[in-house]
Amino acid sequence: MLIKLAFFNLWRNSRRTLLTLSAMVISAAMLILALGIFSGMFADMLASTTELYHGHIVISKRGYQDKRDLYTNFSADSKTLNLLKKQPYIQGISTRLRVFGLLSHREETRPAELLGVEFSHEAQVTTLKQKLIAGRFPDNFRPDEGIIGSTLARRLKIAPGQQLVFVTQAADGSIGNALFTVCGIFSSGDQIRDASLALVDQRWLQELMALPAVVHEIALRIDQPLLAADQATVLQKLLDSELTLGVLDVMDWGELLPQMQEAIASYDISRMILVLILYSAAGVGVLNTFYMSVMERSHEFGILLAIGMPPTRLRHLVLLESLILSVISVSCALLLGGILTMYMQQVGIDLSDQMGAVTYAGGTIAPHLRAVHELGNYMLPAISLLMVSLLASYFPARRASNLQPVDVIRGL
Amino acid sequence: MIILLLILSTLCCSSSAASAENTVPNEQLQQLIQRVETQYNGDSAHALTTMSVSTSHWQRTLTMEFWSWQRERFLTRILRPAKEKGVGTLKIERKVWNYLPKVDRVIKIPSSMMGGAWMGSHITNDDLVKSSHVDEDYLFTLLHADEQRYQIECLPRPDSATVWGKLIYTIDRPTLTPKQIRYFDEDMLLVRTIFFDQLHQIDERIIPMRMRVQPADKPGEQTVLHYQSIEFDTGIGPEFFSLRNLKKH
Repeated sequence: MLIKLAFFNLWRNSRRTLLTLSAMVISAAMLILALGIFSGMFADMLASTTELYHGHIVISKRGYQDKRDLYTNFSADSKTLNLLKKQPYIQGISTRLRVFGLLSHREETRPAELLGVEFSHEAQVTTLKQKLIAGRFPDNFRPDEGIIGSTLARRLKIAPGQQLVFVTQAADGSIGNALFTVCGIFSSGDQIRDASLALVDQRWLQELMALPAVVHEIALRIDQPLLAADQATVLQKLLDSELTLGVLDVMDWGELLPQMQEAIASYDISRMILVLILYSAAGVGVLNTFYMSVMERSHEFGILLAIGMPPTRLRHLVLLESLILSVISVSCALLLGGILTMYMQQVGIDLSDQMGAVTYAGGTIAPHLRAVHELGNYMLPAISLLMVSLLASYFPARRASNLQPVDVIRGL
Repeated sequence: MIILLLILSTLCCSSSAASAENTVPNEQLQQLIQRVETQYNGDSAHALTTMSVSTSHWQRTLTMEFWSWQRERFLTRILRPAKEKGVGTLKIERKVWNYLPKVDRVIKIPSSMMGGAWMGSHITNDDLVKSSHVDEDYLFTLLHADEQRYQIECLPRPDSATVWGKLIYTIDRPTLTPKQIRYFDEDMLLVRTIFFDQLHQIDERIIPMRMRVQPADKPGEQTVLHYQSIEFDTGIGPEFFSLRNLKKH
């Protein structure tokens, strides 16, 4: 009965209702789109950072990430690797030996980080293979081949096919030095990696360093990067129970890249602020509509009260009207926002004419706006729209229920 | 020698009054520091040394041969162990090259790496080749002087790019040889101390035959450079110090 009445009341002044409705729908849909694009930028940044170098989850010996000490290494034995391979959410596993030293070609010498990897495994975790701008990605058959960053290559004045000398201090204190052939040059967009990173064969580097059969890290790619923190916790428990307790540390990208995590946390806050600003405007609109409609109907509310309708039911009636209005607008907004986000996901906006890639918080934002779907980006606008419109209709509803029937009828 | 006596006498006078300590002319302290800094140089020098390096992970001893011409040119070559035989370092003025016989390549050490460890020891490339000249790049203050020693503080000249934030030399007064040098970073934290001992007279010079480098943050580690023999004014000229000679082994 009350619901029917509420519907009827809304359609009585359909123009006003539709205007309010469209304002609510458009503000919420635009918000959903904006949040989708924001999330897209962060997903981009996260992918660029984790998938270029670190991976989503990194396993290392306890304490390694603090000091990068050459001697804080461990043996990635088949037991550990098999255990990791059994986890369904792990999509790629790459073991790495990380060494710092000097790379030299003719007159040029530069400090560099050498990553000793098995190239076929590394390609499952990071995207450097797709970032080659010259030469080719090494195969596993030639042990003395490697790839280096574009800035480093330019500074060393080296082209694919030429040889580099690597000099460092080996683990036994001796002067480790050997030649390798640069077979490819990558350009990742990350200035630090491009200027200092080289990837070489793991066995070759282990031999040079007098560190046989050990590595510093196992880098993993997982299916859902944003859930890396949870997966890392699960994996830590698993490794602790299956292997010797407390030897290995499992870290997700959030721990490895605290600045990135901060950027994402600050995004969550700015998302809330955006919602607050947009909806305080929408809230005032709703408040206005309902006040007007209550004022207009003062006469009939007076009669309803006079013929014996309890004031609480009258209040419920007004609240119900607003609830119906907001439920309709939320559903429309979700639909519209979803369609817009999907369009931005499929097509996006290319800004590469106007700007280059931006490096921020250790990640790189590509000059291409692209949205992603994320549950929170729909839930937040939807729930807050409901809350705001209910809150905004509370005062008109109270006013309606507080009317004095005799006054309003006589007042006509 | 006359100049040194002059320095000595000036320092003696100044040490009697504490308030007068800071009034010692900078030039005289500079000459004293220069003497310490060039004690192993001479017009030319040739030495045989052993270097023992101890770290928490390994311990090793290298035997090396050194040649130098004034303090502008310098060449060293590893004789033992066999694995590193022939590895050499050449310095001409402020440029440094390493030669690696295994790959038969010469690599030039970039100036940004001069603070890096030399041959895995606690001696930096910079120490070894003295590419920075303490007596030219720093300003000096006499902190303390008594019968036995002088203590001199060195602070970087405002216009020079230096490796260290502060140096404190302790110099044995009777022999004018260094006893120890303490090295501080920009935050004035002690980074390392070099101790000198085993004084030995060679020709007219008295020099410490042993030098021990002790890093402040790793008390268990040290590098000891021990001069087995050293001879001065051997007649080697600057032409000896060439990339071609570096590669000979």
